[in-house]
Amino acid sequence: MKSIELKQVSKRFKDGSKTIEALKSTDFSVDPGEFVAVIGPSGSGKSTFLTIIGGLQQPSEGNVFINDNKFSELKEKKRAQRRFKDIGFILQASNLVPFLTVQEQLKLVNKVEKSKIDKKRIQDLLQELDIYDLADKYPGELSGGERQRAAIARALYHDPAVILADEPTASLDTSRAIEVVKILARETKDKNKATIMVTHDERLTKYCDSVYVMEDGILEKQSMNDKVGSI
Amino acid sequence: MFLAWKEIKFSKTRFALIIGIVLLVSYLVSFLTGLAYGLSQEYRMAIDKWDADSIVLTSESNQNLNMSMIDPSEQSNISADETARIGVASNIVRPEGSEDSDVNIDVSLFGIDPTEFLTPNIIEGELFSAENEVVADITLKEEEGIEIGDVLQLSGQDRTVEVSGFTDNARYSVAPVLYADIQTYQQIRFDSDESIEDFPVNAIVVRDSQSLDSLNIGNDELEAYPINDFISSLPGYNAQVLTFGLMIGFLVVIAALVVGIFIYVLTLQKTSMLGVMKAQGISTSYIAKSVLAQTFLLAVIGVMAGFGLTILTGAFLPAAVPYQNNYLFLVATSAALIIFALLGAIFSVRTVAKIDPLEAIE
Repeated sequence: MKSIELKQVSKRFKDGSKTIEALKSTDFSVDPGEFVAVIGPSGSGKSTFLTIIGGLQQPSEGNVFINDNKFSELKEKKRAQRRFKDIGFILQASNLVPFLTVQEQLKLVNKVEKSKIDKKRIQDLLQELDIYDLADKYPGELSGGERQRAAIARALYHDPAVILADEPTASLDTSRAIEVVKILARETKDKNKATIMVTHDERLTKYCDSVYVMEDGILEKQSMNDKVGSI
Repeated sequence: MFLAWKEIKFSKTRFALIIGIVLLVSYLVSFLTGLAYGLSQEYRMAIDKWDADSIVLTSESNQNLNMSMIDPSEQSNISADETARIGVASNIVRPEGSEDSDVNIDVSLFGIDPTEFLTPNIIEGELFSAENEVVADITLKEEEGIEIGDVLQLSGQDRTVEVSGFTDNARYSVAPVLYADIQTYQQIRFDSDESIEDFPVNAIVVRDSQSLDSLNIGNDELEAYPINDFISSLPGYNAQVLTFGLMIGFLVVIAALVVGIFIYVLTLQKTSMLGVMKAQGISTSYIAKSVLAQTFLLAVIGVMAGFGLTILTGAFLPAAVPYQNNYLFLVATSAALIIFALLGAIFSVRTVAKIDPLEAIE
């Protein structure tokens, strides 16, 4: 089973009379437990790629499968439900709700699902990410690194199959960035997630299983000599 | 509710301001409702006290009690369970011996037969038992300091009446009522010392279990009117009720707009956060419900506080202010405020629905 699979997915935008090909026909897949980095200059189509996988926009052609289920053809409402269940998003900075404490960010998931709050799981997850002491702090009271760790906890809490991280280290200094990426790599392995991280920082790719480069809408796998296990 | 309440707790000052505004509007609306009700009661209280079903007036009187003149003998022709004659005169009185025109008091004089059902309840003193004795509304004591046994000089006439007792809830056309027997009424109304049986009364009040249509009056020149129609046609009554009604209606709409705009601005400020939530797969309906829940909380807290403040104010108002609580009206206007505030928040729900999660990510 592939956690993420793209079959001949492409995306075109109309810009006036011109058609821009943001993503050229792409085949791509990620296995459970695999940590993939996508690097490339800004405007290369990295974000388009990630948002198509996340179901925030539909491909012009081709299909996206999440856990072998055709995802990209579902109606927006259904896609939102799948997104909520199967995908954990980690964004640059602001994906925490400013008026909820760290543990309330996780509880929100239960509130939306109308499920019971799993206190043990919250505690374990926050301890794992070393932010248990900050459980009752608001995002505004945390440092950038702490915020991203809280965001990772939030993304992992509902146990999604897929983690999509869009520049998760953009607002962090190098040591903090490395720390966050190490946590992502560890959680991917421990919890058998399929993780895609979009970044512009090539120094971080050494913690990933495979690295893809996006340029002008073309996704190409970078050869890696020191890594094994990638497709 | 989770998000709604957490956000209120987090941004206390901001939401306290909104609640403050709802409170003030609700206070104003409730207070106006109390004043409107109190004032309308000043017009009709004495009529409500009759507990009557209809009133027989002359057809030509245009439902104006003063303009209707009926021969008292007509009473026997009316086929109702109970009937009672009444004569009404406006008058000005002042305590005897006082020359100061400042103490002039506007009153309505009701001439009634103490054997009939219009006889007022007595809360102090006793019913009139002789000519030129009157039972007065208790506000005459509370506001003007009139006591039992006081003699009142009638303006423009060389007559006096003596207060034998007090009743309550007896105000008609914003004036306290003096009850006297029909002879006294006729002498005052027609300024004559004779007591003549044919002197007319103004109306015959009817209590009847049957419908108005089956009431037989036995005279083409007379007509029976339902008591509520008669109250609506009291001079000034409808104009006053409509004026207050319009003011209250506008205030409710303004409150809805103010709350709606506040919530809308707050929602606009949160657009990117809400976009991220939608990207995470949290449904539009969950977010929309949370916006409505928040509006509901703000409105309920504000309206309840305004409600409480109104009742508190009502308890401390001097008797001269025609303020009266009517809990049914208070609850109705409060409910209207809450419902309209929710309607105002619907703009924001549309905004939430339109947020594109893609924009929040890119």
